[in-house]
Amino acid sequence: MVTLSDLKISEVKLGEEQTGKWGMVIDQDICTGCQACVAACAMENNITFVGEEDSGYGRSMHWIRIERFWEGEYPEVKMTANQPMLCQQCGHATCEPVCPAFATVHSQAEQLNLQVYNRCVGTRYCANNCPYQVRSFNWRDYQRPEPLPNQFNPDVTVRRMGVMEKCTFCIQRIHKAQDKAKSEGREVADGEFTTACAQACPANAITFGRVDDPESMVSQLAKRSHGVKHLEELGTLPNVTYFKGG
Amino acid sequence: MAYDKKHAEHAPAGRHNGHSEEHLREKHLMLDPLPRGQMNDMVMESMLEKPTWKYWLVVGILSFIVVYFLFYKWSILIMKGQGEAGVMRPDYWGIFLVNTVFWIGISHAGTFISAILRVFRAEFRRPFTRAAELMTTFGLVQAGFSIFMHMGRVWLAYWLMPYPNQRMLWPNLHSPLTWDLLAITTYLLSSTMYLFLPLIPDVAMARDRSTGWRKTFYKTLALGFRGTEGEWTHLRNAMNIFAFAIIPVMFSVHTIVSWDFAAATRPGWSSTIFGPYFIVGALHSGMGAAIVVLAVIRGTMKHMKYFIRAEHFDAIGKLMLIISMAWAYFFFNDYMVQWYGGDKWTQQLLHFHEAGPMGWMWFAMLICNVAIPWAILWNPKWRATPWLVGTVGIIINVGMWFERYIIIPISVTINRMPFTWRLYEPGIEVPMGIGTVALFILLYMIASKLIPLIPVWEVQEGQMAHELKKFGRETVVSVSELE
Amino acid sequence: MSEKFSRRDFLKLAGVGAATSAILTGCGPASRYVKREPYMQMPEYNYNGQSTYYATTCRECAAGCGLIVRTVQGRAIKTEGNAGNPLNLGKTCARGQATLHGLYNPDRVTDPQKRSSRGSGSTQVMDWDAAIQVVADALKNNKPEEIAFLMGMAPDHLFDLVSDLASATGMNAPLRFGALGMFEARATLSKAAENLFGEASLPFFDVGGAQVVFSFGANFLETWLSPVSYTRGFAGLREAKTKMRGKFVQFESRMSQTGGKADEWIPLRPGTEALVALAIGKLASEIRGGAMPRAFENVDPIDTASKSGIKLETLEHLAGMFAGSNGALAIPGGPALGQSNGLAVAEAVLALNAISDNFGKPGGVYLSPLAPNQSEYQRPASAQEMQEFVQKMADGKIKVLFVHGVNPLFELPTALGFGGASKSVSQIISFATFPDETAREADYVFPDHHGLESWGYQRVATGSAQPVLSGAQPVVSPYYNTRATVDVLITAAQLAGGSFASALPFKDEVEFLNGKVSALMGEVDGSISAPDLATFMAYFQQHGGYWKNSDERVAPKAGDALNREISAEEAEFAGEGEFFFVPFVSPTLAEAGANKPWLQELPDPTTTVMWNTWVEMNPETAHELGIENDDVVRIVSEAGELEVPVYLYPAIRPDTIAIPFGQGHTAYGRYAENRGVNPADLLGQHFNEAGDLAFAGMKVKVEKTGVKKPLSRLESIMGVYGIGLGEEH
Repeated sequence: MVTLSDLKISEVKLGEEQTGKWGMVIDQDICTGCQACVAACAMENNITFVGEEDSGYGRSMHWIRIERFWEGEYPEVKMTANQPMLCQQCGHATCEPVCPAFATVHSQAEQLNLQVYNRCVGTRYCANNCPYQVRSFNWRDYQRPEPLPNQFNPDVTVRRMGVMEKCTFCIQRIHKAQDKAKSEGREVADGEFTTACAQACPANAITFGRVDDPESMVSQLAKRSHGVKHLEELGTLPNVTYFKGG
Repeated sequence: MAYDKKHAEHAPAGRHNGHSEEHLREKHLMLDPLPRGQMNDMVMESMLEKPTWKYWLVVGILSFIVVYFLFYKWSILIMKGQGEAGVMRPDYWGIFLVNTVFWIGISHAGTFISAILRVFRAEFRRPFTRAAELMTTFGLVQAGFSIFMHMGRVWLAYWLMPYPNQRMLWPNLHSPLTWDLLAITTYLLSSTMYLFLPLIPDVAMARDRSTGWRKTFYKTLALGFRGTEGEWTHLRNAMNIFAFAIIPVMFSVHTIVSWDFAAATRPGWSSTIFGPYFIVGALHSGMGAAIVVLAVIRGTMKHMKYFIRAEHFDAIGKLMLIISMAWAYFFFNDYMVQWYGGDKWTQQLLHFHEAGPMGWMWFAMLICNVAIPWAILWNPKWRATPWLVGTVGIIINVGMWFERYIIIPISVTINRMPFTWRLYEPGIEVPMGIGTVALFILLYMIASKLIPLIPVWEVQEGQMAHELKKFGRETVVSVSELE
Repeated sequence: MSEKFSRRDFLKLAGVGAATSAILTGCGPASRYVKREPYMQMPEYNYNGQSTYYATTCRECAAGCGLIVRTVQGRAIKTEGNAGNPLNLGKTCARGQATLHGLYNPDRVTDPQKRSSRGSGSTQVMDWDAAIQVVADALKNNKPEEIAFLMGMAPDHLFDLVSDLASATGMNAPLRFGALGMFEARATLSKAAENLFGEASLPFFDVGGAQVVFSFGANFLETWLSPVSYTRGFAGLREAKTKMRGKFVQFESRMSQTGGKADEWIPLRPGTEALVALAIGKLASEIRGGAMPRAFENVDPIDTASKSGIKLETLEHLAGMFAGSNGALAIPGGPALGQSNGLAVAEAVLALNAISDNFGKPGGVYLSPLAPNQSEYQRPASAQEMQEFVQKMADGKIKVLFVHGVNPLFELPTALGFGGASKSVSQIISFATFPDETAREADYVFPDHHGLESWGYQRVATGSAQPVLSGAQPVVSPYYNTRATVDVLITAAQLAGGSFASALPFKDEVEFLNGKVSALMGEVDGSISAPDLATFMAYFQQHGGYWKNSDERVAPKAGDALNREISAEEAEFAGEGEFFFVPFVSPTLAEAGANKPWLQELPDPTTTVMWNTWVEMNPETAHELGIENDDVVRIVSEAGELEVPVYLYPAIRPDTIAIPFGQGHTAYGRYAENRGVNPADLLGQHFNEAGDLAFAGMKVKVEKTGVKKPLSRLESIMGVYGIGLGEEH
């Protein structure tokens, strides 16, 4: 029987570049669910807050969210390991082919899923088709009263109403590190920079780096046997590896 | 090349014995010819009749609804964003797309009645092809509006069109939405032309019978048609080509619409049978809408009882029954395909459809789309009752709207990330959806005063071809091939 | 130094090269004397497209984590942890990240204000000269013993300045208080350490080095003592690189965020923590063999099992786990200590550590090292001390009250009567940055800079193995017409003359800071050293503080920790009612986060609720009472009542309800005002032996109101709880 994973292998054999470049390993066993990554992401990426009503109606703009479920009944109840869910930067992303305007595209250089804000017309097909449900849409022109906009990161576009957005793996940091390394005539070293979420995480549960470099920390970690990738069976080739709890 | 044909298929209760000539004439428009001049005058009169206060009242109300609910609310939506609607994660698509699919579905019956019945030379089509074709165009207008309402940045909608530009930015041909856009545009253009071609002889007729601005209007539309043999030949050729060509376009449009869903990676959507299921669904709602339009025209416009008779309701009623059965089959088929897939999220979704908070809609859909049409349309007498069949048409449309609602916002509630499941609560979509209905009706009302809703030449052509002959005591209908 | 001396020259002098984006900039004290440029003119050391990074200290809580703030063209863009600071090693919590929403908050106090009458919204803008004159008059025209300072928990330079002023003039010694300290029961913890180890200090629990951690209510992953540091410790516990993955057991009646990470969560009956700890100790001692320590003699495990609601087998299993490990660690904290028997709980749990003999060993209990410029442990005021102070206010013994860094009207339980007592104080002067409740009840508000606009230092009380003095410097020019409170006090003291002037003989804040920090120059083993003060100060600011290089944690002397009687009394609960009441500090908002919109929008780690307060109730109990999610209920205690929507929380005892603390502001800016409720309104005046509030020692009634208020949740109630999916009948 041919399974999806067989198809994936055959695709790789066809010579397509499917290995990915940047990746992440998230250790759910040590993630405490403290939301530092969520706040760090919001601050780094100029993500807007939406207020009580909209956030309660599935319109919050979090690029990363921490999921938790329950197992068992009281008193044997257990909170499942916190699961930070963010864009998996799929090698074979379902969001990409469905955008009619090429606003959701694959970066050949960085092997990331890009969202081109100024090309987005807001059909929201990509978000519908994302099995991880990690895209957020600017449902309104959310106002950030003065002087809050002083805090905006100048390296990141401020999105307006009607535009889809999502985790970029802090591509502005990737580019900055690459520019710096280039000007110094060297390669970007492993751990030289990291994403905002990984940098903030007090438990160090998030590791970011080059998955195509077998020596990198993230590659070493990803080799651990208990790593899983979410919804891998869909053939999306996600680049985020999770270590489940205990 | 005239030939006689024992005709049985389009006359209900086609037993010839015991049916007098008068009876047949009363029953069948094709056998009940009037002088051409009189018939032309009847059509002109129905169009030029001074509108009553009721007409103006309805037009006034509809205009208000269109202006306030459709355009004013739309401007609010554009200014304040999609947050005014009920869409959110995970229901990124809501009633706007339900309405899009719904109106495209409605538009299908126009082509189906006009093109398919024309190609197959179903004679009962003759008096209502125009009304049906108008439905295609007017329905597509609503569908287009609904799509644009849905877009987050509608002012950039032209980016979806493949226009030459300096940056070499083209629409993404991988995206079903691009296919959709191209298909709908093609369909709108071709169906509008297909509406226009058979209209030419009628506006030429109207041009010869009107004065003032109407004269100019019809003169412009008639493109100088004078009814010469050459003109007729060209026109017939063109109509024939379009009638054949538009059928695959029609099928492609709704299969492509179904691909918007079927090509996606979502439980409940990636169903292999969606193409035909959507086509049948479209015909189902389209036929329902067509019958409503006919009933309204017959009931409200002068002389229309002559043109639109019980036989037409009976014929379309039969079609509706068949299509309802086909829809039931494909619904079951779709359910099976999904259920046998065994995907746990799809299983969850199928359960959610019936047992979730919107389960009532799922059952209402089956009742409206299957139970009621089957219960009523099997009976020839009921089938030939205009108000009853019209009511069934409305019910089917409600059911089909429910079907689209279940496929879109209810199905996307369930996805592979249970942490995000959420039930859709519509907002500004509701008044705007009502606005599209009002605009649809308003366009019909305006059209009824501007163009002949009955293709007179087609009726006359049919009547010329039909003839009652006596063989002994037997009265027989004969139809001669005109071309 | 001369007027023309620019920051650039200064940095050259200090031997720091031109700023590149990677180099931290020491915003040296000399820049104090550089004229501040208007905002639109680019500050020095800013190049187009290049960021400048400043090291400073996070002021969102009293832990004292080091921050590196990225600035671009004079605007603060992003905070990151200071990787050099031994306390947080480059990490931050969510509140540290959101501190910029405080700096650029649209509702800051922009100018010195005189209020027309207390509690009114109408204020009159003053100029700073007049404001300082008001402070000077307040100092001069009142007897020193009638002047009091109420300050935030952080042991910072302002506290040192006011302490010096108080000791020189006979003013009341400044009181430090914060709701976090109250809900941590800090006083109880240090009192227990004093009783057991003979030294009042904050114990330091080496979670990272342990094999088995038993936590009795300590919410160390949330707001407890030093959450970033303890989270790092927790990661160490779980890390399976060098050792087995450590086990973690949490004892609490309501599953906290910390409890959610536990391998075993033990919902014991509130009030039986001491009993359970001693019973486990007894069973563990039996397993270990040898003589039964005196502390455990009088405990009956079977009786404990029935009283606590924990099965005897579970107790035995836990005791086996504790006794069987070489690195078992027991931590007391949180609501377990905030009960009438809190001190006994703290002692019993601390004493458990004697079984695994981990005092002063890796994975065990230490005493936190004193900060570099600290001679003895200074504890923030306990609630009882605050009550005594409030009584003094009510008696009219305080004429002038200065408030800085704390919001007693919000943070102190209403029952303690601060609001009423403040009416007997003739003059209240607030230095609040934000228009909080206390500022609204003050006669004057003389706004201090935001933490990121200020100079200073802060002693790290606990969390680091090394003694740390975190340094603070402005990362941006003050955005509003605010002024450093230290500067205000120095100038006012000089205007007031007499002992005030001689107590603060400084030119300004920097001179004062220089004086304080210069004491460290001669010390050995420091993270920075320099031959002259200017360079030393530059390094101090550049690196974000000063710390010792070596581990100076103190091993507690605990030879006879177990050879003394420890009370196993159950806690007493105040009030009528069927529910135990557990208030807990919101992990994301804490006591002062409610005005930061992104903190409001962070989902609570356990319930994922945003922007509101809820009461957690066991679904079974709620079902019996006919209460559903989002039903607003009235909670009535002996001290007060409030109305709050219900969250059916599967991990709470059926006889317990819990409400987060952090919302319920009546002032404090647009994002905080009139949002949620403050559970402190329900707390009565009951204290434990250490003087901490018995905040978890209340029983309350629950009444239905018939109103519904949907809570804003990130989670799907359908997907997570299966509600509304059609699964139910």
